[in-house]
Amino acid sequence: MCGYQENKEWEVIKIDILFFAVISRGKANAVLHKARECGATGGTIFLGEGTIQSKLLEKMGLTEIHKEILMISASAELSDKLHETLSASFMFAKRNKGIAFSIPFKRSQASGQAEGSLSTNVNASHYCIVTVVDKGRSKDCIKSARAAGAKGGTLIHGHGAGIPTDFYFPLVIEPQKEIVMIITPEDKVFAIRERIFSDLELGKVGNGIIFTLPVSRVSGLFENRSEDNKGANL
Amino acid sequence: MSLLFEKTKEVNRTLLPVVILVLFLCFTIVDVETDVLIRFIVGSIMLLIGLSIFLWGVDLAMNPIGEQMSQEVATSKTPSKVAILSFLLGFLITVAEPDLLILGSQVESASGGALSASIIVYMVSIGVGVLISLGVFRLLRDKPPYNAFMAITYGIIFVLAYFVSEEFLAISFDASGATTGALTTPFVLAISLGLSQVKGGKNSEENSFGLVGVMSAGPILAVMLISILSGQKNIQGDVGEYIVAEGVIGPIIKEFPGIFKESLIALLPISVLFFNFNFRKFKLPKAELSGIIKGLAYTLLGLAIFLTAVNSGFMDMGRIIGMELGKMSHWILIGVGFLLGLIVVLVEPAVHVLGEQIEEVTSGHIPLNLIRMTLSIGVGIAIALSMVRIVVPEVQLWYFLLPGFAIAILLSFKADPVFVGIAYDAGGVASGPMTATFVLAFAQGAATVIDTANVLVDGFGVIAMVAMAPVLSIIILGTAFKRKKVVYPEIKETSKVTSHLIEEVDLQHDCILVVVNRGFAEKVVEVARKSGATGATIMRGRGADEHQKVLLPVINIEMQPEKEIIMLITVVHVSASITANLLSDSQLEQDGKIAVFISPTEAMVKTLTT
Repeated sequence: MCGYQENKEWEVIKIDILFFAVISRGKANAVLHKARECGATGGTIFLGEGTIQSKLLEKMGLTEIHKEILMISASAELSDKLHETLSASFMFAKRNKGIAFSIPFKRSQASGQAEGSLSTNVNASHYCIVTVVDKGRSKDCIKSARAAGAKGGTLIHGHGAGIPTDFYFPLVIEPQKEIVMIITPEDKVFAIRERIFSDLELGKVGNGIIFTLPVSRVSGLFENRSEDNKGANL
Repeated sequence: MSLLFEKTKEVNRTLLPVVILVLFLCFTIVDVETDVLIRFIVGSIMLLIGLSIFLWGVDLAMNPIGEQMSQEVATSKTPSKVAILSFLLGFLITVAEPDLLILGSQVESASGGALSASIIVYMVSIGVGVLISLGVFRLLRDKPPYNAFMAITYGIIFVLAYFVSEEFLAISFDASGATTGALTTPFVLAISLGLSQVKGGKNSEENSFGLVGVMSAGPILAVMLISILSGQKNIQGDVGEYIVAEGVIGPIIKEFPGIFKESLIALLPISVLFFNFNFRKFKLPKAELSGIIKGLAYTLLGLAIFLTAVNSGFMDMGRIIGMELGKMSHWILIGVGFLLGLIVVLVEPAVHVLGEQIEEVTSGHIPLNLIRMTLSIGVGIAIALSMVRIVVPEVQLWYFLLPGFAIAILLSFKADPVFVGIAYDAGGVASGPMTATFVLAFAQGAATVIDTANVLVDGFGVIAMVAMAPVLSIIILGTAFKRKKVVYPEIKETSKVTSHLIEEVDLQHDCILVVVNRGFAEKVVEVARKSGATGATIMRGRGADEHQKVLLPVINIEMQPEKEIIMLITVVHVSASITANLLSDSQLEQDGKIAVFISPTEAMVKTLTT
């Protein structure tokens, strides 16, 4: 299956979307199974945490929900199909059942041939703001994002690339990082991004990075959550 | 709330079978007083609440504390600081363990005062401290390999076992079960995880487990040495007349304050050590600190409720069932013992914690249910064999212990390395408070009505068996994992569309997502750095695709291979060369199964702006 020769003709299915689904932990296999029925070839699953918004629970220290994030590379058509099928069978339309979104990506292979630009024809209604900070600072990040109008975020644990150090043991310290993903409508992107940037002092070297990715389609995101259900604890 | 709810649900799922089995026995063959029955039901509800709160507290407090402390240990500049600090950790968590004090006083009375309780407690704590210290050194140096390290440790134990009497053989393994209590195990698991995270590198996954296994060898060695040095061979005495408590609420209320105090004492040394270091060194932000304090409070409350429930609700019940069944056919006793072992082990608090850690570390690659099933079967067989030992006096403890460990050690050289650590951990994890009360009471109950059995010796042996069986069963599973096969189904090359980078004027950066098989992230970062990337963030996940199918032998369960996802933010003009270099690396291509995704992004990165 390896060895990409230039002249070989591929059966053309355009892979230009990464489809993400954020669901409760343990459900990813079921979702992936369903996605495969729709024609997805495979997916990558990683563990993350969701956020909740409730003063009382925050006081008790109950601020985590375990989530799984499923990433599937798909064509535009497949992505649409996945949105529809998965929303229907896993009830993304209901609150807290999960969300799904697609980010336009290009899949690169060894032999390169240009193939049209993409972000011009994507009319992104939403954006995905990704912040990478040192472990422990994600709470602050979510806090300032909320202050700027975001509804919540998904947290993934990761680690930075190793830095060799000279303690007694020759350790390769891998700094623990937290990645915060926030999906938000276009009009709020700027405010949230600026707020996180200034609150977490990302301008200083080494404090973290922030970037945004256009999202072409979203399912299961509730924007007016706080308005129509004030003080709801989930 | 939903995580707490989730935990409650999970605990409930493991507790329900126990309740159903006990109630079934009560309504069919065993005659139990109504008081005890109602107390058992009340106890089950308390256990459900207590264990859920406890597990939550562990998440909130134990894990961060373990992480901070292990970081402190790993970043020491001198070996003596590593040694002293890790010794101190091991010593302090053990010396306050209430179970160990109980064991110590039992031995004191059984040996007629020749061995004082405090000698036992201190010797065992020193044993744990030394072993933890050695284990930490091994982990940080990454040699000798874990399986060889454990083989040597158990080799020494076998040699010593030749010199001690069967009573002390049983007591030494029981001491190991007593030290790996509800509180110490999660803490040591967290330290192990923390150390391997700081250390990183290729073996970080294997290194996340195994410290509990190392630690549980400490008490065995310590008690055996006491026995040999003091010349104490035989212990006599009886467990004393057992009185079943009366009333429903009375015993529960009577038990609680004492247990609360014990739990507090057990929790205190770790907390003091941590706050001491926090005050001097870590200086954690307020929000994080308050989370840890809350977590400690939950841990304390949950543990106290859990232990009260087990002591007042479950112990009498276990004893009565054991006594009643002992009078009946021996086959029923052995069968019920097997069933009890099968389901009771899953209620152990540390089993939940270990399970969570396995999920976290392997990001779901090792199916949790498979581990639980293996653990269950192992412990079930262990309890059944213990019942055989009670019924047939000629059968001795070492008939099972020695071959069991010997096979486990041999297989540990053939098994998947992650499983070796998990297996030795599982031994300590399985012999927790549920075994020490409920199952032990069951065994002792049976032993009292069978004339040929010795209540003291046979009782101690049960815990030794429970500590051995999971090691063997999980190592067998690990051997099966090693033989998993990868199948490459024939597929059409569909997804290989060649494409190129996007020409974007207003966006200065690209976000590159690289998905590779676990273990290749370092290589990717190396290649990317050479091509001009400055940093990377690595996440762990598991993947499934049509290109390969990983199957376990015999049972043919499909596995999802572990993946690493590397996220790079790069300036537009270098992203092309990074991608090209990544894709042209043949090792990444063939073994790493690399896939690269690129999207233009609006980044605010100080370090990268040119």
